[in-house]
Amino acid sequence: MKAPFSSWLAGQAEPVKDLIAALSSHYDYVSVLATDSCGFNMVASQKNRMMERKTLTSERGMVVRVHRDGLYSEYSFNAGDMTDVGAIAAKMRGILDKQLAVLAATGTEVYDTDKPDDSPLQIFSEMETDSLPEDYDINALMRELQSYSDRAVAIDERIVECRCRLSSNHINKMFITSNRDERQSYVFTEASIAVFGTADGHTELAFDGVSDRNGPAISGKLGDLIEKTAANLLETLTAGRVTPGEYDIITTPEVTGLIAHEAFGHGVEMDMFVKKRALGADYIGKRVGSDLVTMHEGALCVTDVASYAFDDEGTPAGDVTEIDHGILKTGICDALSAIRLGTRPTGNGKRQNFEHKVYTRMTNTMFDSGEDTLEDMIASIEEGYLLEGMYSGMEDPKHWGIQCITARGREIRNGKLTGRVVAPVIMTGYVPDLLGSISMVSSDRYSFGNGSCGKGHKEWVKVSDGGPYLKARARLG
Amino acid sequence: MTCDELITLLKESGADAWELTDIKTEGWEFYFIGKKLDQNRVRDVEHMSIKVYRTLKEGKMLGTASGEIDPTLSRDEAKKRITDILKDAEYVINPYYELNKPAETVENMQEVDLAAIAKDYLETIKNIRRDDNSFINSCEVFADKCHSRFVNSEGIDVTQIYPSSMLEVVVNARNADKEIELYRLYTAGTCDRSALTRDIEELMRFGVDRLDAKPTPALEKTAVLFSTRDAVELYKWFVSKLSANFRYMNLSDWEIGKAIAPSASGDRLTLTARAFIEGSSKNRSVDNEGAPTADITLMENGVPVQYWGSRQFRYYLGIDDGYIAMNFEAGGGTGTKESLCSGSYMEIVEFSDFSVDDVTGDIAGEIRLGYWHDSGKVTPVSGGSISGSLTELINEMRFSGAARHYDNYLIPELTRLEGVNITGIRTE
Repeated sequence: MKAPFSSWLAGQAEPVKDLIAALSSHYDYVSVLATDSCGFNMVASQKNRMMERKTLTSERGMVVRVHRDGLYSEYSFNAGDMTDVGAIAAKMRGILDKQLAVLAATGTEVYDTDKPDDSPLQIFSEMETDSLPEDYDINALMRELQSYSDRAVAIDERIVECRCRLSSNHINKMFITSNRDERQSYVFTEASIAVFGTADGHTELAFDGVSDRNGPAISGKLGDLIEKTAANLLETLTAGRVTPGEYDIITTPEVTGLIAHEAFGHGVEMDMFVKKRALGADYIGKRVGSDLVTMHEGALCVTDVASYAFDDEGTPAGDVTEIDHGILKTGICDALSAIRLGTRPTGNGKRQNFEHKVYTRMTNTMFDSGEDTLEDMIASIEEGYLLEGMYSGMEDPKHWGIQCITARGREIRNGKLTGRVVAPVIMTGYVPDLLGSISMVSSDRYSFGNGSCGKGHKEWVKVSDGGPYLKARARLG
Repeated sequence: MTCDELITLLKESGADAWELTDIKTEGWEFYFIGKKLDQNRVRDVEHMSIKVYRTLKEGKMLGTASGEIDPTLSRDEAKKRITDILKDAEYVINPYYELNKPAETVENMQEVDLAAIAKDYLETIKNIRRDDNSFINSCEVFADKCHSRFVNSEGIDVTQIYPSSMLEVVVNARNADKEIELYRLYTAGTCDRSALTRDIEELMRFGVDRLDAKPTPALEKTAVLFSTRDAVELYKWFVSKLSANFRYMNLSDWEIGKAIAPSASGDRLTLTARAFIEGSSKNRSVDNEGAPTADITLMENGVPVQYWGSRQFRYYLGIDDGYIAMNFEAGGGTGTKESLCSGSYMEIVEFSDFSVDDVTGDIAGEIRLGYWHDSGKVTPVSGGSISGSLTELINEMRFSGAARHYDNYLIPELTRLEGVNITGIRTE
């Protein structure tokens, strides 16, 4: 079935066009992004159950972007009578003028920027989905998640809690200017299982999840993860600590995705080039990884939670080859940064929601696959670890430092897994060293969309990332 | 749909109980690249959130669900959404608990002048001392005026007006060979010009030192001194372990009246939930469930005194008073600067991302700038990471009596942990 476009947004199209017309006499560029995205967030566990019709991406509101005298300004609002666009336009101009007075009083200079391309464009996209969050049987879903939680805690007495969560979202966005009318509707869902256990006075957890650009029906895939996640927890409860040092490592596709995201995801967001915050700007056309490293980024490069038809500035979705056989080719770019850098936007201008500013953001970031097998990769390692499970990551695009915290490491000695587990494992290093050390790449490839991505420590958006198994060398602690 | 219209609909909905939170925000935002304005923004938004309850199984269980009612919904659309959420509540069943009842509260109607707050931030940033080698690369200023109202079916109806602000700043330092950056995200009620100037100038000094930093040596078990805002993450772990939520979920085994580390040789923490901390962005007269805020001792000399948290989990644990605390003060330290800065130790002032897992107590972070103090010599270092578990490290945790303020946390100025794993960088 197709995810139907919001009837509320459809009804706002003409008033929005009237608002643009009303503002166009004062500003030399006006765009409006209007949103009406719904969804729910559900949790079932042993001790508590929760259901809210509100998620990271649920929103209903509008943001007006205007350009005048080289300055971009925005006004986000979600109330007011859209039949009186004159009143809304007057209120908006009144508040923005008060801001301009403060800027004048503080002697603030403007970063003079041209107005954007507004060549005619029409998009209407209702994407396929297997189900819709707004129509789903909440009772049956809650029972299903509860059964998974019950099944997990029955596995071992050391397991004290299992939290099953599902978030399903129906995204509706409409981008309008004098020359453009773009509308899209799609559904995505993510579900996760977190198993908690205690032993010898300490508490540990293990986590896994599924995601897709489909409806809540993906919940069934969670059932396949319960025994595996519980087993991971029990191993973590008795895990040791890694002896700090440099090791050969194999990353599972989830950890591969974390590296993709942190290493050359943030590092080539081109709004950072404008601010001269990214070393990547000086490395376009240069080697940043081994010949085995090819990386793609874009809403079109895989189908997952961040696969849309156009971004929050109305730029159609793309698929950018960031690294081709180890050579850094280009970055990703929002529309304003593209004007400032003299390049073209890539469909990566995203907002947390209509209340937030656009930044260059990742969508789906993926390593390409290779020709090796996991078995051959393990057999090739004399002393090292297979790293599994993603906790968090952080990079430093100015200095190319990278930090990835993974859930556990499985020891490899003399080409075999020994059964010993260490947890957690902190992998740190210098990005070109890490990518340059990649010596084997498996032939399979998976994406993971359970995470959210911040810019600095805020501005959370949905992203997915992934790739194949990689063999590399890294510092572990 | 207005807040009052929504209250009428909730009363007519058939819900056995309900809660409504209405927050109207006017937010001013300014984004800078270098000294130049990238763009200015305004947020003019209202968010109305509801939670509805159904009493089930002869009053032993409670069905609960929540959602947002958009102000652009018509009366009929809002009514349908409430009906849908009430239907959800039939399937989301937890043991029964009571909502908060009306109680005496302190008035919290603060004067908020967005233009004045914005001007304070813009002028403070403009006046920060900078030169060719140390400067502000970019920054973002956020100032909000929040008008919040909480109403529930038990008769609570409290309105508050308060400011909330945030500054993200990126500081660069460079020499002939390289350029580095350091990052801070400050949150506060309003702009404290002198504290902000002190903090950013300190950050610029760190930046210059990082240019000369040597690779972190491989030290393995070492004393680590926290002297910047990353220390807040350590104290947040204690806060989480004392939450009624964690206790009820079996994620905390800390018991009231029982020392958390009976054989500890270090300082014993006293933790207090504070209703108001001057300059905090979290100063409220009631929490987001309508419970009045107050100063409450959560832990005294390393012994838990009371759990804090939502009405639901407090009710399950039999705690009558309390609230969802947002301001915290950590104290009880006996260390002086001289005693905490003695012997060999690694003072870490910048991490890529210092994290403390609130369930496991595992600490982790890549070192962006540390100072290795050894035999009277101080060496700036960078790279590598630290790791360990607070469940073990609290046995030898020492901290200063002097305090430092970070938004909604008042914590010891210096905190020292012994025996932390430091993974250095191999230099050969």
